[in-house]
Amino acid sequence: MIELKHISIGYSAGNVVFSDLSAHFPAGRLIGLIGNNGVGKSTLIKTLCGYLSPLKGEYLIEQQSSDRYTIQKLSTLISIVLPEKITGFNLRAYDVVAAGRIPYINTFSTLSPEDARIAEESMETIGISALKHKLMEELSDGQRQKVMIAKSLAQQTPVIILDEPTAFLDYRSKHQLFDILKKLCGEQNKLVLVSSHDLDLVFAYADRVLLLEPDHQFTFDSPSVVKPKTLLP
Amino acid sequence: MLLGVLVALAFACDLVFGSVNLFSFKDSVMQHTILFDIRLPKALTSLFAGSALALCGLLMQSLFRNPLAGPYVLGISSGASLFVSIAIIALNLAGLSSFYYLGKSLITLSSIGGALVVTAVITYVANRSRNNITVLLVGIMLAQILGALQGLIEFIASAESLKSFVVWSMGSVGNTSFKDLWLIMPLCLAVFAVAFTMARPLNALLLNEQYARNLGVNVDKTRIRIILVTAILTGVITAFCGPIAFVGISVPIMCRLLFKTPNHLHQITYCILMGAVVLLGCDVITQVISSAFTVPINTITTIVGSPIVIWLIFKTRFAQS
Repeated sequence: MIELKHISIGYSAGNVVFSDLSAHFPAGRLIGLIGNNGVGKSTLIKTLCGYLSPLKGEYLIEQQSSDRYTIQKLSTLISIVLPEKITGFNLRAYDVVAAGRIPYINTFSTLSPEDARIAEESMETIGISALKHKLMEELSDGQRQKVMIAKSLAQQTPVIILDEPTAFLDYRSKHQLFDILKKLCGEQNKLVLVSSHDLDLVFAYADRVLLLEPDHQFTFDSPSVVKPKTLLP
Repeated sequence: MLLGVLVALAFACDLVFGSVNLFSFKDSVMQHTILFDIRLPKALTSLFAGSALALCGLLMQSLFRNPLAGPYVLGISSGASLFVSIAIIALNLAGLSSFYYLGKSLITLSSIGGALVVTAVITYVANRSRNNITVLLVGIMLAQILGALQGLIEFIASAESLKSFVVWSMGSVGNTSFKDLWLIMPLCLAVFAVAFTMARPLNALLLNEQYARNLGVNVDKTRIRIILVTAILTGVITAFCGPIAFVGISVPIMCRLLFKTPNHLHQITYCILMGAVVLLGCDVITQVISSAFTVPINTITTIVGSPIVIWLIFKTRFAQS
């Protein structure tokens, strides 16, 4: 699904954050992305989403170089869930989920009955249909994250990337969230990539883990192999 | 639907109310002159100026995800004002002030240019800081600086120029003729149509810029379109009516409070209609409370608009705490 071949990532040739990174992320897998703050997780996510181009190497999505995709096409392949809280402007849970249909709708932003059905089904899959008419500011952090995941589902992309989705959640909500993600990989064959500082959860749920370390070192392997490397000496 | 009726009602009231009772005239020529040469252009100007400024406010608030943004607060009207002052002086110095269309065109273009410069600066600051308070503070400071520069220009200007822009800077919807409206109306209508085509990216921007980009929206292009639309509308209205306060910021807030939808296709419609109702209403108030003289429209828009803004600040502060 996604293949990285010796890519260097960063903001310019003089500001390389991580170099010579290679990994293959197949469909239907839950990939954990871990590493200390500042090591390059967010830069990698920005690169995977197409906000930044790789400085070197190849980034392939479905065997095609990422450069060959337009921003519109990318929006139907990769969806994102960010840690920022989205509130205000009369946004209700359903509005945010329905925003997942923006890549498919017309200039005047009117939802077809089919778009509305997909948005409602996405809410149902995540188990948040009851929150449909709630304002975003009325939701708990856990519920808000579920809304954002439902938005990604409505976007109908084969890849979902989540940037620190567990940051503001309590223990129970964190487990619920990873359960949902695992289910999406198994039942809908989605590739889910999650960056997180909750190492126990990542090792418990992920199929493979990408550990980014200082000095451009990385390990991409099963949780059992990566886990010992994260233990304090 | 209700808003449409309100616009028609406010428009009719604006035609009926004035310093003289329209129905007291026996002379139909006089009646005709007052109605069609004075009150109708004024009502049409109020309608379009209110709509345009409210739309600018909505676009600014969505772009910056900040309900306190608006063309007057962020100094965009001040930028337009300063450039108009410079244009008026330049026209007087060059002896071109008697050429009506040339003069008006140059003033309008200068006004749009001034609005464009300030909007671009504010957008640059917003991209750099990503902090709503910083953007507002920079906007307020810019408005102060531009206001001071305008004061300086007025200080050194000739008596003729000074009179022109002191009257103009008080804000008025009564100084336009049909000749001006043939420029204002088509331009506003064309820009309104463009705004409606921006509903999709504007809806995406309500999440945030990163989400918008992930939803396939070309954020940079959208930003430039918003800047251009705002600068053209603010520039044109400021050129003909002077800087009009608080309509831009308070109308979108009122619309969001009254009509609980985030969808821009609806909010753009509501703001255009509500902006017209508010400015027509403010103009009717100025006519009703004054007979021998007319109270500047800015006095009324400020009295109506600023409590809404204060209330919103308190509401958001309390909600946060």
